[in-house]
Amino acid sequence: MPAVDISHISKSFGPVKAVDDVSFSVEKGELFGLLGPNGAGKTTSLRVMLDIFKPEAGSVGILGGPMNEAKKDRIGYMPEERGLYQDIPLDRCLAYLGSLKGLNPVEVKQRSAAYLERFDLAAYKSKKVKELSKGMQQKAQVIATLLHQPELLIVDEPFGGLDPVNTQTVKDLLLEQHRKGVTIILCSHQMHQVEELCDRIVLIDHGKVMLYGALHDIRHQFSGHSVTVRTGDLITTLPGVERIEPINGTVKLHLSPGTAPQDILRALVARNINLEQFEISMPTLDEIFIRVVQGREVVA
Amino acid sequence: MNKLWHVAWHEYRRHVFTRRFVLVGLLSVPLVILVLVGLIFLILSLDVNTTPLGYVDFSGLLDNPVSAPAPLWPDKPVPVLPFANEADARAALDAGRIQAYYVLPADYLSTGQLRVVHLDQLKSSPRVQFYDFLSANLLKNTDPVIANRLVKGAEIIVQSPDGTRNISSKNWFNVLIPIVSGIAFIIAMFSTGGYLMQAVVEEKENRTMEVIITSVSPNQLIAGKIIGDISVGLSQMILWLVFIIIPILAFRNSVTFLQGIQIGPQTLVLLGFVMFPAFVLVSAMMAAIGATVSEAREGQQMVGIISLPIWVPYMLTTLLMSNPNSPLAVGLSLFPLTAPLTMLMRDGLTILPAWQIALSSAILVLTAVATIWLAGRAFRIGMLRYGKRLKLREIFARQKVY
Repeated sequence: MPAVDISHISKSFGPVKAVDDVSFSVEKGELFGLLGPNGAGKTTSLRVMLDIFKPEAGSVGILGGPMNEAKKDRIGYMPEERGLYQDIPLDRCLAYLGSLKGLNPVEVKQRSAAYLERFDLAAYKSKKVKELSKGMQQKAQVIATLLHQPELLIVDEPFGGLDPVNTQTVKDLLLEQHRKGVTIILCSHQMHQVEELCDRIVLIDHGKVMLYGALHDIRHQFSGHSVTVRTGDLITTLPGVERIEPINGTVKLHLSPGTAPQDILRALVARNINLEQFEISMPTLDEIFIRVVQGREVVA
Repeated sequence: MNKLWHVAWHEYRRHVFTRRFVLVGLLSVPLVILVLVGLIFLILSLDVNTTPLGYVDFSGLLDNPVSAPAPLWPDKPVPVLPFANEADARAALDAGRIQAYYVLPADYLSTGQLRVVHLDQLKSSPRVQFYDFLSANLLKNTDPVIANRLVKGAEIIVQSPDGTRNISSKNWFNVLIPIVSGIAFIIAMFSTGGYLMQAVVEEKENRTMEVIITSVSPNQLIAGKIIGDISVGLSQMILWLVFIIIPILAFRNSVTFLQGIQIGPQTLVLLGFVMFPAFVLVSAMMAAIGATVSEAREGQQMVGIISLPIWVPYMLTTLLMSNPNSPLAVGLSLFPLTAPLTMLMRDGLTILPAWQIALSSAILVLTAVATIWLAGRAFRIGMLRYGKRLKLREIFARQKVY
């Protein structure tokens, strides 16, 4: 049974259809990427998933059925817009948020002490939240999300506003949670982070699912539109090649639609080009993202 | 512990254990009372000129004078000096040894006429003390019980036909107690309601709301906030009461009018059955406003709109006091927003029929329940609305909400 099962959900705000017939599921223990450009409908999808918004159509199954109050204690959610009480000390803020997740004061104290130590925030626990830097507040938000040891972790843009060191810390933490069997939904538009962490993704644009599946399969689906060639000879034009792009001693040949890599290989051999390397380029998630979002190709 | 109580305790703690609450919420009213009382005593004590008074008696009444009873605090006793003739008295007056002198002519006992000579305005305290001195001497050969009755005068007690209520001419200030407590209640309602509204707006502004509602239901959140808010208000009022009761008990023996202070059972009934639901109503309204607006300043403007009808009875004081059972007074007692102050203003002046208290209370309870529902709905629709105000028709529109 999937940890999250989203089936044909739609949600509008006035005339704007924020989410339009979106379906995907997240398996238990999976680190799943929810991608999309700004305003694509990612956060609305998350809010529908968390029962903050009611969908006009479709259904949501979470941790084995519809959302209820008890399940809220098993879910950790870190929204994109960070939210902590600014006028109270950090430890009191964590204690309150922990208590709302069903933790008793002793548990909150022990767990927050360990996390504060790990995130170098122990010395700041008595400071008011507003006195902490943006990065510190971001880390505090991560602690508040993890404090109750959720089974399902939903993090919206978790690396926003973090320096490289803290980005790595959060990344390590997500991987650690993943190893523990926690189901993680990582919502982001930072493709390289998603590519590094996630096994499967769903890409939403204009409220619709544009891509969905295993990252490896998606990259394969998008491969074949360019080949990388290493050669001492000069290549100026080739039939079926739209653009030739020199990259670090290699040449990337961007193929026109309908041209297969084998056609290019045959053409190169026919011209007696000495090939040192011929490789079908696997597109990065960034490239796929741009192609899908700009070209609005639906591959699901 | 139920999450609702966590929310309530958080709200309570967040507002009560702050310097602002201690300084503004708690100490402001007692300090204002203290300053006012202090000013009254200061003015009274400055008003007392203890320079002796003189008298020249040709009537023989004051041949062997007895002293007048000592004046009550904060008045100070003014010595009274006899003079053999008016020339001596005038010389003493010109020399500043006395502030005035009285001349009792030979026929004083038959005419009651006497003359006073002074250079500067004679204040009321020495004048009253001289008349007390005269009264004491006029009555020195009378039965002390009768003399005492004559000096103290009559106490007229106005009693209601059913005998449940009395208002004494000496304890007239008891009329003011319900009004003052009503005003204190409303101040507490609005100051703590203001905290609640601000808390909701802040949670929206700093995006805490989105985290909270993935932990508790909106109903638990709003109920917890209202409970916390009412607890803050009650704490505030209990502490104000303590600040007021302590000086009353401390000065009870020296300040006579404090001995007559009493809060009637009707006032207590009104506080419990009218003011309490009114408090819940205002809190729910504040929560709804907080959920509707996008920033605190905008909320303050809306608070102004609901506070206006609450204070309307105060603006109609003359009408309500001259006829506390008029149709206008009854109408205002039944309208939820004007009921709290109207009922307490009328409480000091008339016997409120039980049906009016019951109906007013029932209307208030029903309105409070409806407002909580409305606030909950506004909360659910508006909780994640950033930068844009929720319109009233959106709250009532048919739509699925969280």
